[in-house]
Amino acid sequence: MRRVEHIMGFPISLRIDDADAAPQDGDPVFAWLREVDARFSPFRADSEVSRLDRGELEPGALSAELREVLDLCEHYRTATGGAFRVRLPGRGLDPCAVVKGWAVQRAADLLADRGAAKFCLNAGGDVVVAGGPWRVGIRHPERADRLCTVLEVTDGAVATSGRYERGDHIIDGRTGRRATGLLSLTVVASSLTEADATATAAFALGGEGIAWAAAREGCEVFAVDAERRVHRTPGLPSAGAEAPHHSDRRASASRETAMGSGKLRRDETT
Amino acid sequence: MKRALPVLALTVVGLIPLWRYEPSSGATATTEVAAPNPSSSSASGSSGSSSAPPSASTGGSQVVAGSTVNTEKGAVQVEVTFDGDEITAVKLLQQPNHPQTTAAVPKLIAETLEAQSADIDTVSGATITSDGYRKSLQAALDAKGA
Repeated sequence: MRRVEHIMGFPISLRIDDADAAPQDGDPVFAWLREVDARFSPFRADSEVSRLDRGELEPGALSAELREVLDLCEHYRTATGGAFRVRLPGRGLDPCAVVKGWAVQRAADLLADRGAAKFCLNAGGDVVVAGGPWRVGIRHPERADRLCTVLEVTDGAVATSGRYERGDHIIDGRTGRRATGLLSLTVVASSLTEADATATAAFALGGEGIAWAAAREGCEVFAVDAERRVHRTPGLPSAGAEAPHHSDRRASASRETAMGSGKLRRDETT
Repeated sequence: MKRALPVLALTVVGLIPLWRYEPSSGATATTEVAAPNPSSSSASGSSGSSSAPPSASTGGSQVVAGSTVNTEKGAVQVEVTFDGDEITAVKLLQQPNHPQTTAAVPKLIAETLEAQSADIDTVSGATITSDGYRKSLQAALDAKGA
């Protein structure tokens, strides 16, 4: 079963491979994402987020979901030393970077709760899969018709941040400048909430975001820096790669970069 | 589990002063005077009397190797350099060759950027617009399977 709908300005492709899957199995997914758009979009004057931003909501009147989203935003703001923030000077409250991953993960949970076992949900390039293995291609940052790597994920989430689709739209909250240190950065994690927010926050951090994301518990990273160099964690679930334990041998054969205190240090001997 | 080994290493370091003051029972702990004394090796053998005892009593530099501790991940042994009673350096002489010991320091592998096409189920990329979707790989995949 496959369905594609456009919500929040991006395409959402759902594929369920269970034998008894029917098109209406996707209804809860698309209904929930429409609800998220109505409640959390900063572009809708009547959304909960817009009303909070205008001071029309008392702190006690926030919904449990919006509190959860704002807590996540605060978590990532602190974890990035302010590079990731949802309230930039001169702009309104914009929790989009957290809302998307969080909402799509919840949509995937709705599917699983209703008994779907083997599915792939792709929301504008952010992916949640279950019951794989699923082959997830990572788009080449400079060639829309090519991939730069292929992952194999059984259950989990893959999120990519880049500036090739929407331009320099990610701002480093520490400087207020556009984040341009990376071409693209992909995070694989057990949930899209973590993968998407980590990818966006790391992108805002720029070059040092690679090490920052790699150090986060449960996150594997594939990044292309501004010089077109690829950096990936040894545990990245590359398609066709050996099991993670054996990949250490591959790691020692290829060039490695070691990191200390969150700063990336390139091995200059190779 | 990631933190178990560093904690163990520090525990071993913490025990070293005890070993240091029990040389008689220290069958596994070796104590040696390491004070690198450039005058003794490079300079013309000056009267050795002045530099003869660089031992612990005068607060000279001292390198102490701890005993090997076997953990479920492998053997751990540390070497500590003292300057007087102050620890100036700690080195791991032996550490398990296990992914969990290296995981504490994030490691990245550098590769070259490839442009490839392959048989895939879905595409992850920067958030695509509904306009951009029309000519995307994902749209082709969706159309192919529909």
